[in-house]
Amino acid sequence: MSSTRSRLWLVLALTALLAFSAVLGACGGPKVPKDTLVVGIADDVDNLDPAVTMTNSSWGVTYWCYERLVDYKGSTTEVGPALAKSWTVSPDGLEWVFVLRDNAKFDDGSKVNAAAVKFTFERLLAIAKGPNDAFPTVETIDAVSEYEVKFVLNDPFPPFLYALANNGASIVNPKVMAQEKSGDWGQAYLSAKTMGSGPYKLAEWVKDSHHKLVLNTNYGGTAPSLKTVMIKIVKDPSARRLQLEKGDLDIAAELPLDMLKQLEKSDQVNVRTYPSLSVSYVYLNCQRAPLNNVKFRQALSYATDYAGIISGVYLGRATQMRGPVPNGMWGHQKDIRQYSYLLEEAKALLAESEVKTPLTLRYLYADRDPNWEPIGLSLQSTFKELGITVEMQKLAYATMRENLDKGEFDLAIGNWTPDFADPYMFMNYWFQTNNWGLAGNRSFYGNAQVDTLVRQAARITDQAERTNIYAHAQEIIMDEAPYIFLVQKSYDLVLRKNVEGFVCNPMLLDMFNFHQMSKK
Amino acid sequence: MSIGNLVIRRLSLLVLVLFGVTLITFAVSHLVPGDPARMLVGQRASEETLAKIRESLGLDLPLHIQYGRYMSGLLRLDLGTSIRTQRPVAEDLLTFFPATLELALCSIVLAVAVGIPLGVWSAVRKDTAVDHISRTYSVLGVSTPLFWLGLMALLVFYGKLGWLPGSGRINPFLAAVPRVTGFLLIDSLLSGNFAAFGDALYHLILPAFCLSFVHIGQFSRQVRSSMIEVLGQDYIRTARANGIRRRSLIYRHALRNALIPTVTVVGLSIGDLLGGAIMTETIFAWPGMGSYVVDSIGFLDFPAIMGFTVFVATGYVLINLLVDIAYLLLDPQIRGVG
Repeated sequence: MSSTRSRLWLVLALTALLAFSAVLGACGGPKVPKDTLVVGIADDVDNLDPAVTMTNSSWGVTYWCYERLVDYKGSTTEVGPALAKSWTVSPDGLEWVFVLRDNAKFDDGSKVNAAAVKFTFERLLAIAKGPNDAFPTVETIDAVSEYEVKFVLNDPFPPFLYALANNGASIVNPKVMAQEKSGDWGQAYLSAKTMGSGPYKLAEWVKDSHHKLVLNTNYGGTAPSLKTVMIKIVKDPSARRLQLEKGDLDIAAELPLDMLKQLEKSDQVNVRTYPSLSVSYVYLNCQRAPLNNVKFRQALSYATDYAGIISGVYLGRATQMRGPVPNGMWGHQKDIRQYSYLLEEAKALLAESEVKTPLTLRYLYADRDPNWEPIGLSLQSTFKELGITVEMQKLAYATMRENLDKGEFDLAIGNWTPDFADPYMFMNYWFQTNNWGLAGNRSFYGNAQVDTLVRQAARITDQAERTNIYAHAQEIIMDEAPYIFLVQKSYDLVLRKNVEGFVCNPMLLDMFNFHQMSKK
Repeated sequence: MSIGNLVIRRLSLLVLVLFGVTLITFAVSHLVPGDPARMLVGQRASEETLAKIRESLGLDLPLHIQYGRYMSGLLRLDLGTSIRTQRPVAEDLLTFFPATLELALCSIVLAVAVGIPLGVWSAVRKDTAVDHISRTYSVLGVSTPLFWLGLMALLVFYGKLGWLPGSGRINPFLAAVPRVTGFLLIDSLLSGNFAAFGDALYHLILPAFCLSFVHIGQFSRQVRSSMIEVLGQDYIRTARANGIRRRSLIYRHALRNALIPTVTVVGLSIGDLLGGAIMTETIFAWPGMGSYVVDSIGFLDFPAIMGFTVFVATGYVLINLLVDIAYLLLDPQIRGVG
């Protein structure tokens, strides 16, 4: 046989082998079982350690691999018993004693007891990487008995109970210390593993590909219907949508708003819309002229096309904020002053402010949220009527945060979601003067009376009294307009029609309640 | 020049290249305003928390000390720890690089297997319909936006026809393939898991095709123009006059010389792909280096950015070395030079 012919046969044989293998791949491969839920998310997580991670995407993977002392009840912002079956608090709000249930076990079969709770919080405070900031006043944690744990605070912290439902308060198995390296409290190990007592545990994590959760056979609660949860990373929203429509995904998270309208017509999927406590708002740098002028800020608030932004940018899937505390959280004032797009009013206030125009204000934003640019363009268009030119300044997100922290901006945009269901998350973070910068008070707003009021509300435990104090502070704030209170966004989720049992809790966005869900 | 001398010279130049590359990358990444400590702990962290994190990461040290520490680690082949993932950068790169390399090599093999014969055919049948079609394809290939092509391919072959899978390297419901090399095609064969091998190949088809689409056009254009030039040379005319068969004339005499500039283009393409084809990886959810480095840049993850740059720079130097070795093998005349 000539060398050419033998080469040709070799090429044909190789091609046939490759084709056969591809066919094998196409025909073989297990389909999605009925007791498995497949969720498509946009980005992978960096770290799974509850004491380290600050992102909702990571919490979505791990929240149900752990349990906490308390959990949110259903779709409400109220908390109820979880690992703790009951609790008491001293009249001065400084001592909290939790009685634990005695049937909870970690995924390795060891008991969840007071020692584990003590270890978890000591670890959280020692690591001090962000989640610990929800517990600013915890002084000591003691295991009073095997199933009783006492927290002693050095200052009253009314949101404390709610903060215990936070992902950072997830109870970690003390055996993580067997994996400790160089005093890291097991961070290197737990960054990629779970060691909790929740209904699921992490079985596999292939970076940038998928997370596989399987049942924790030692879970002390009702066994979930879904035995496996596969969380796939599908970065491109079009690809995510295609996979949902083809049935390769059961849930597609974070689909762009413009896709939802078309998906609503589909007979394969449901588009669900829920209220959320997530808001978008514009920071006005109150330490810079002319934004340090109250009348000028009021003029800007009246020159903002709220309805236009809601319909044009959010496609109607948002409502205008009314005050800093969102609707759905206690403390929200439904009758408080609300600005609307009134150009004549804006011009009159501009004249009263005695600020000379034309002038230019820089609007800082990043690619982080695709809505930020069109919002800036809307402001640019409406502020022009006042003789104000808005210069759009787009930066990398990390750089934008640096500038925000240093106050190097005129206007900037941001989103905010609460870590716990208490108005403290808005009123104290946004308006307390010791939170200037990225920590919360991003308008660098300073009003002594507001400062006193919000600090006072943060120290008392009576909710009715706190409501009144926060209400008074909100009236002053709305008059002084340190922010443009834009929108309270809805939460939209697209699921296959056969997926049942999803409950949206506004505090647990993208943390799907897998243990209560099923597929028909 | 002998191959041995070439290798020694190039490897010694690698040290200088890495020094330059690390210095420039370090300077540029630190000039960008931003605080990776703030990115790590979230925006509501207190100043005390931030200060502690900066100290633990060494970010509070003067820049020249930070750079010195990094270079001293590099001499021990330690690329540092990623601020974002908290894992050794080397471990991260070894996690993501095989996926990128596997896709890159499959794309290049496809592009070479199709592009070179297409270029030869086009040159030999110059100004015929075959040549026109080939040249039209070349223009389309280099001008088609990869993002659009990927989405269209996904829509047609996955969405409408259902012939090919929608994302990832392998069906996650298959039994996990034990990781040996990180290359799924190799690891699945090593473990005797032919279903996984087939599935991995199946998942490679669409992204590899999209990536190769551009390069097929590039390679065929290059080969065509080189072949036309070579086929016009006197020695080819002499060989033809001496009765050498057409097939032998084209493939043994002409193509070998025409391949020399093509080898450069192929080398550059491999180097380019090794950096991670971010568009393709995004559309096909391919867990490669492209996404890793984009996320690292957004996070200002200095060790990851530096590690990636060192990695890719080393890759480019080695690829250029292989290209030059290929030159020497293809054209013995070059061995006498230098």
